[in-house]
Amino acid sequence: MMKRYGIVIVACICMLLLMMGATVFGASEEDDVAVIVNPENPIGSMTSAELRKIFSGERTSWNSNISVFLVVRAPRAREREVLLSRILKMTEPEYKQYWVKKVYNGEVSREPLTLLSNGMQLEAVRAEKGAIALISLQDVHQGVKVIRVDGRMPGAAGYPLH
Amino acid sequence: MRQTLAVWSILALCVCSSPAQTADSSDSPETVKALLQEVRDLKARVAALEAKQSQSEPHKEESQKQQQPESSPLASVQAATQPVSEPLGQSVNPEHQLGISPGIRMAGFGAVSYKVADAHPPEAGQVGFRNSAANSFAVGDVDLFLTSNFTSRIMVLSELVFSETSNQEFEVDVERFLLKYDFRNYLKLSFGRYHTATSYYNSVFHHGQWLQTAVDRPLVVEFADHGGLLPSQAAGVSMTGEVPSGQLGLNYVFEYGSSNTHRPNLLNPTVAEIEENNGQATTLGLFVKPEWLHGLQIGGSLYHDRINPTGIPFHIGQTIGSAHLVYVTPRFEFLNEAFLIRHQVQETGQDFNTPAFYSLISEKFAEKWRPFLRYQYVNSTGSPIFPDVGLRHGPTAGLRYDYNDYVALKVQYDRTFRRLLPTFNDLQMQLAFRF
Repeated sequence: MMKRYGIVIVACICMLLLMMGATVFGASEEDDVAVIVNPENPIGSMTSAELRKIFSGERTSWNSNISVFLVVRAPRAREREVLLSRILKMTEPEYKQYWVKKVYNGEVSREPLTLLSNGMQLEAVRAEKGAIALISLQDVHQGVKVIRVDGRMPGAAGYPLH
Repeated sequence: MRQTLAVWSILALCVCSSPAQTADSSDSPETVKALLQEVRDLKARVAALEAKQSQSEPHKEESQKQQQPESSPLASVQAATQPVSEPLGQSVNPEHQLGISPGIRMAGFGAVSYKVADAHPPEAGQVGFRNSAANSFAVGDVDLFLTSNFTSRIMVLSELVFSETSNQEFEVDVERFLLKYDFRNYLKLSFGRYHTATSYYNSVFHHGQWLQTAVDRPLVVEFADHGGLLPSQAAGVSMTGEVPSGQLGLNYVFEYGSSNTHRPNLLNPTVAEIEENNGQATTLGLFVKPEWLHGLQIGGSLYHDRINPTGIPFHIGQTIGSAHLVYVTPRFEFLNEAFLIRHQVQETGQDFNTPAFYSLISEKFAEKWRPFLRYQYVNSTGSPIFPDVGLRHGPTAGLRYDYNDYVALKVQYDRTFRRLLPTFNDLQMQLAFRF
């Protein structure tokens, strides 16, 4: 009887360890968040600092004389978490307050367009020349351009938006 | 033996299924519920969009029904980096798609304040506080902020303020009214009535008291019609933008306009306001926002105009130099600004200098609490424009509590030392909000 319980306990522990291992080592390239722009935008890469300037509204035009059109996911989406924690280093309330101030100062004309799904983000980026958005790599499809961040494509080792 | 086999079978199944769970760890009931809700929302939005598009652009509906071929994520990155052959661009406006029609967008800011002071004799009431009262409530400024976008580059910005007087009546003032055109990052033009770039504070904090950490503005950067020392508004043209400077982040601001600054007497409410009758004013400012320390800004500005104050038989050249060093992050705020206001009487050649500065430091903790400390100093010696100011300096300590994203409660204690007048204390409480 005791031997059977022992086997069950060992099996459970093994199962837990395997699941944990899969969680840790299974953080595949598909978990990366890609930066996408409209294919007509000539930009192909940018640094993390440039990305922060874009998503914080400090840079409002692309070099090609197209206005930047920010597209972000609604709260609780993974892309939103990556935007806040990796790029802007803000909490959700701080982000909201930041944009209220930004619009009120007249530095930008409006807050970023907030969308509920990655499909809607794709449509917005396809439709708007100056659009830029963050999207989970597994949701990237044709009609948008993925750009390099700090010289790396999503999925590559050392890609910063993970 | 059979049980042992069963256990190993379950184990094998778990091993096989674990990567899949990692790739999509959204099996919890809450996540499924949230996803279902999101699907319902999306369905509703798609239906609304389709109905709208079929009404406005029926010919586009068919082309949009053509679905993109799906591919695996990694392959799609390769495919996505290649431009597609179908025409893209601004044929469809996402704002229009999502039902955000062009029009006027409105936001508001307001506050209710209570102030108790022990000044002898009492000072004149400002920002809605009653004259000669040891304590009073005030609504202060009710601020309506309106914006409207014509295109992605052109917008109108308007700030209408219903300002409470010491008689607790309201006066309407158009504080800002601007037609803005963002040509490029290096040239952003504004035409209309603007808040001057004579100080960092005046450029960044406007009439919405919810936006600033403290209850009130430092005296030197208070709005002129509330007793402040700087010409806070003008009508004309303003341009700003980036100067190519790499990681230094150099920016410029240039303003040319006219104004008629009027400021009340701080000590005696029965004394008429000083009307400066300003001539054309020019402001030139430079500031850097280095990339290597986000939140740091260092800069300064130079303002010049010629004023002919009512009741003063002289023409006076007014030059205001300012310098600022600020470091602002969402959690930490450190503002430092210094001024030299120079009035030169042209008929006599006399110069009157008024140096001033303020410094404010605050840090947020526990997400909602923000204690702050401030020190301010103004020293006007004989300037005919500031006969009521003299030497004023003193510390401020306060606490801000953000109840939520819209409402903040502030408490602030000030001690003000004055030349030839008794020192006084005041305590202010403010409920500031946006709507």
